[in-house]
Order: sequence, then C-alpha cells, then structure tokens
Amino acid sequence: MTKTFTIALLGNPNCGKSSLFNQLTGLRQKVGNFPGVTVDKKVGKLSLGTGQEVSIIDFPGTYSLYPTSIDERIVVQSLSNPNDENYPDAVVYVADVTKLEKHLLLLTQLRDLGLPLVLALNMADVAEQQGLEVSTELLSKRLGVPVVMLSGRTGAGVDDLKLLLEEIIARPGSYSASSPFFNMSGQEKALADAAKTIVPGANTYQGLLIAHHYEWLPFLSEAQRALLKDTSEEHGFVSLSSQVGETMQRFDRFTPVVRSALQSRDSDEKGITERLDIVLTHRFFGPLIFFGLMLLVFQAIFAWAGTPMEWIETFFTFVGDQVREILPAGWFTDLLTDGIIAGLGGVLVFIPQITILFLLIAILEEVGYMARAAFMFDQVMQSFGLNGRSIVALVSGGACAIPAIMSTRTIGNWKERLITILVTPFISCSARIPVYTVLVGFVVPPKTVLGIFNMQGLAFMGLYLLGIVSALGAAYIFKLILKTREQSFLMLELPEYRVPVARNVGLTVWEKVQSFVVEAGKIILGVSIILWFLASYGPPGEMAAAETEALSAAEQLQLDETETDNLVASRKIEASFAGHIGKAVEPVIRPLGYDWKIGIALITSFAAREVFVGTMATIYSIGSADDEFTVRERMAQERNPLTGEPVYNLATALSLLLFYVFAMQCMSTVAVVKRETKSWKWPAIQFAFMTGLAYLSALLAYQLLS
Amino acid sequence: MVATVGQQNELNQAKPGLKGEVSHFSNERIGSKLMAMGVLPGSQIEYIRKAPFGGGCYVKVDNVLLGLRKAEAASIVLK
Repeated sequence: MTKTFTIALLGNPNCGKSSLFNQLTGLRQKVGNFPGVTVDKKVGKLSLGTGQEVSIIDFPGTYSLYPTSIDERIVVQSLSNPNDENYPDAVVYVADVTKLEKHLLLLTQLRDLGLPLVLALNMADVAEQQGLEVSTELLSKRLGVPVVMLSGRTGAGVDDLKLLLEEIIARPGSYSASSPFFNMSGQEKALADAAKTIVPGANTYQGLLIAHHYEWLPFLSEAQRALLKDTSEEHGFVSLSSQVGETMQRFDRFTPVVRSALQSRDSDEKGITERLDIVLTHRFFGPLIFFGLMLLVFQAIFAWAGTPMEWIETFFTFVGDQVREILPAGWFTDLLTDGIIAGLGGVLVFIPQITILFLLIAILEEVGYMARAAFMFDQVMQSFGLNGRSIVALVSGGACAIPAIMSTRTIGNWKERLITILVTPFISCSARIPVYTVLVGFVVPPKTVLGIFNMQGLAFMGLYLLGIVSALGAAYIFKLILKTREQSFLMLELPEYRVPVARNVGLTVWEKVQSFVVEAGKIILGVSIILWFLASYGPPGEMAAAETEALSAAEQLQLDETETDNLVASRKIEASFAGHIGKAVEPVIRPLGYDWKIGIALITSFAAREVFVGTMATIYSIGSADDEFTVRERMAQERNPLTGEPVYNLATALSLLLFYVFAMQCMSTVAVVKRETKSWKWPAIQFAFMTGLAYLSALLAYQLLS
Repeated sequence: MVATVGQQNELNQAKPGLKGEVSHFSNERIGSKLMAMGVLPGSQIEYIRKAPFGGGCYVKVDNVLLGLRKAEAASIVLK
C-alpha cells in the first residue's frame, strides 16, 4: 500500500452520519480544515479485521451536488475533481431508513461519479420500533449498490459494514456502477463530453457538474473557466433548469424502488415529536420555554462551575508555592510561578464553565431542540443580518466568546456567520463579572427601589442589556455594509426528538474543550509571560532604586512585614516597564478620566478582562485580590494628587464600565476569530470598531458627567 | 414551473391546518433547493403552524418536518 485507503462518509443532514463516524473511529479522530475555507474536516482512523488501517473523512451533510452553502460546496469540489487531495477511494453513503424516499438523491448522484459505493441504512433500531420492513436485497439489486442495515446509535450492523469495506478495498472496481442512473439529455451529454476534454480525468457526470459549477470550482484554471463559459453558452445551457430536470428524473426513478422495497405500518397518528412541538414551537410558549431553558443553563453554569473553579485556583496557588519553596529564588522561579503557572491557571480556570455550557448545548443539539430554537428566532435574527442559528452563539457568549464563536460553524451562509462572529464578543462574558462587581458600586448606591429591586442588581442587568443591544446594533450595521452573492436559506429539517447518545455528546464536548484549551491557552499563556516580564522588569536601575526607596519609607512609617511587601510591590510596578507604558498611554486615556494606574490595568486586561481586579490589587498594594470589596474600598480612598478629588467618582467609574462592556480586550478571542475567518482582516476590523466604540462611549460619559 | 401573478394558493397564504399537494414552485432557485430536500411536485404537505414573531412556517412534507422562511413557503404553490 502506498497511500492510505480513504473512505468518504456522505449523506444528508440529520441522517446520523456523525453517530456512525463516532462508532467507527471513536477517539481516533482529528479536526482539520478543508483547503481554503473554514469548514471543519473531521478525519478518523479505522482498523479493519484484516489489520488494515483506513482513513475516514466525515464530509458535511449535504442534500445534493448542487450546493447552496460553503459546507456543501466542499463536497462538490472534492468529488468533481479526481485529483483533489480529499478525493476518496470509496464512499459510505448514510441514509435515514425511516426517510429513505427523501435521502437517496445524493446517493444516485454519487453513484454516477463512478466511485465504489455502499449504502448504509441508518436508524435500523427506529425502523424496527416503527414496524418498518426493508428488503435490502431488492434495494441493492434495483439501485446497483451493496446495502447494509445498521444503527449508529446502538452500533448494531456496524461490523457488517466493516466486512463489506474489506471486500471493497480488495476489489474496488467491482463496486462502482457500470451504467449511469441519470440519463442526460442530448444537450447535457454533449456539454459534459466537451467539459471532459477541457478538464482531463473527469468522467461524464463530473463533466456535467463542472459545466454547472465552473464559475466557482477552485481547481479550474482561468483558461479552463473561459473555455467552459464559451462552451456552455454555445450549447445554450441553462444550469438551473438542467438541475431541476435532473433532480426530477432521479426522484422519479428511485421513488418506485423505495416504495417496493419498504413496507411500513401506516398510521395517521401524530408522533411524539409533533405532539411535543405543539408546545415547544408554540408562537407564545415556544420562545418562553426557550428563555426558561437558557436561564436554567446559566444557573447551572454559575451553580456548578464555582466549586471546581475554586479547586483549580487552589491547585495552581499550591503548585506555585511549592515551586517557590523547592527552587532557588531568582528570575527563572519568578517566570515559572508568576508567568507560566499563573498564566496556565488563568486559562484552565475557565474549563468548568466551558465544559458545562458545551455539555448542555450539545445535549440540546443532540436531542433535536436547537433546530427548533433556530426556527423560532430566525425571523428576528434575519432582521439583524443574522441567522436563526446565531441564537446559539449569542447565548454561549454569555459564558465565553471563544466557544460561542466556534459554535457558529453550523451557520451555512458565510455573511450571516461572519456577522455572528463579529458581534458575539459584545455579549457580556463571565470574565467581565469581577470587573462589573468592583465598579458598579461607584455608579449606583446599594439601595432598594420600588420595594424589591436592588439598584446595583438593576445596573448589572443594564450592563448585560447594553451588551445585547450593541451586538444587535452592530449586526444591523454589518448587514447594511457586507455584500454576498451567496443566497441565504433557513429551510431547516426539524429532526425527531431523540434521547441523546452519551458517546456523541461526550465526543463533542471533548473536542470543543480541547480546542479551547489549545487555542486560548497558547495566547493567554504567551500574554501572561509578556505581562510578567513587563511588570517585573524596568529600565536598568529604576526597579532597585524604587525598592530601596520603598523600604526606607516603610521603615520610617514603621510598617509591618506584609504592609512593607505591599508597598514595595506597588512602587516596583510603578518603576517597571508596565508602569512606564501606563504613563505613556496616560495622555490618550486622560480624556476618559483615567490615570496611569488604570492605564496599566487596561493594558493587562488585554490578556483577559478579569486580570483588571488583580492588577488593581497589585497597583494599590493590597497584596491579594481575593476579595473584590477590599479592592473597591481601597479604590474609593484614592485621590487625585493635584485636585484632591476622589479618582473613582461616578464619571470615571461609569466611563470604565462602558469601556469594559464594549472593548475587545481578549487576545484569545482575537486569535479564535482569526482562525475561524482565516484572515487577520476580520479580527482587526472587530478590534477597531469595538475598542473605538468603547473609547467614544467612555469619553462621552466622562466628559458629560465630570 | 411558471409563476403566475397574484396566485392565491401559495402556501404562506394558507391557514395553519391546511393539507394539500404541492403543484409547483413559483421561485425556481428556492424550488430547486426544496426539491433536493425531497419537497417535490406531488408531495403531500401539511401546514402545521406559524413560527413565533411573525416568522416562517412549520410544515410536514410526507413524513419529514421542516421549518421554512416566509419567502421559502411563498414559493410553494399548492394544487
């Protein structure tokens, strides 16, 4: 064997393809990307009974070879070009046997490509429950492909598929169809033959597909494209009507086959799914239940994540202390404890929140509920240039923008997906909570109004609302600016409600948490090390001088050991590079009401927002940032050295709050946006408009109030 | 597959609860995509309910449940 035998897993959306993929490959899967686009490419390894290892590509679910989204285009561009790096050696076509009449269009198209093909009839367990009888021999004979019944959920029949794959690998040639399923018209045949001479290596149906899609197929040269355009015009070819004709003919041919091979127990009785949907997609109760569910999801995150987050923090403090004790004091130990270990802790502390959120969303998705949410909110989302599916990202953004942005991959339309990615970081994430907690007290008193409402609680809610409103507002503006030729569709299949399969949920959560740790981890770790360096070192001599000065001041004031350490720390940070940078940016942030100390906190917040509290604690020499209220009390005492006025008055605090609501202060999000959009252009635009909006609103608030 | 102006039997003009048979599509592009999903001339279609917020339609085509936008539903012409 020179090359690994590659099997493509193909089928319609909701055919249960991913369940089968997970059955076949388990944890031996990797997520990559198809060349040039951000569509996920899942590749897994499968060992057959013969000891041979094959690789399996899980292609995006698609209805036909006439694509309407980037996801579906991937399938066409990989399969219409025999030289494509993802061109498979054989195809396992997965179809939901309970909806076989709808699921065979793509099968018959793939058959005409001349690829060795197996038809896997999935959901055999459901078919049995429904009393559906299937004659696999008849199907196999009439469609001209081998057929296996299996269940991706239970694993039944998967071994039969593996045996069949062994046979196909041994004799691939005998599993390709000999005659085409679709009979082309004279015009189509002539055009396909012409296309074959322009693109050597293609078979006749590939020729026809190339003639349909030459405008966007990436593997064609400009010369080939021009030739195809001329030829197509010469033949008077109208792609859309040819496509409609082809679809009709294929359905007309396979529908009688399916009807003769399947015996169903007819019942007019409404299924459990339809009965549940009477309430769950009700015009009034549907959205209400959705908001109730989301409230529960967030309650769960805050209720369950707290304790494991404390464990993680305690663990990293413990490790840091141990390292300090074991290793000799010096810059290396400082880098290890304050830079690397603290940085790692800063990433890993978010794992409980992200795991819980992904777990709950994966369950809702697997059950079939998320398709309903997308359907219910599509109209509202559309008016902001978003898609019904954007609702998942916007909700997830309340915990963390990183997993939220990754969840937009389910949005087919690129413009709608891009807008969702661009506005999601406006939603107040959990890293903003500590900052809001410290600052909100300077803006509103802890009074109760109208008997039951706590003013500070209302202010908190206001900040969250501000985030949501700005996300929708920004989306609306992007909707007006961005142009796309890609048509947007909802046309969403609402799958039957099903009990979730633990394996599928587990693998989804595992994959997403892993990608968060890797993506956010390297950035937060890197930035933490840089910040550690900036805060620990200064121009030559200045740090030592600051320390000596602080020590003598402490002696004069007769401070105890802790107070002395705190004073030294605060003087040293002023002398450090971070202090110098803070002073350098002071002129820029002065109009917002900030001094150099806040400047340092703003800069360090670019690693992650919650760092604000810790930085404030260091600058004001409090020592530990454990208690947000200690930090706030100390901030309240801070006076402007020139005027003697409190630094943190209503104007400054409100200005800071607005800055933290709007500003893009999370390097990990920037990195993830870069990865998901495959360019620096979009994260740069996002950073500029979010931080610009933050600056302007903070400026306005401070100037009007002071 | 010819569109007729002012057609009254488009799906979105109908009331929830209506059952019928798909005749053809008034928008060929949407129609081609619907056909790929198995909504074909001759399919049995039931308009089950309207979506919240004045949105699209929840329909059942043969034994498949679909959520459609208004424009998508409007392109389905019933017999």
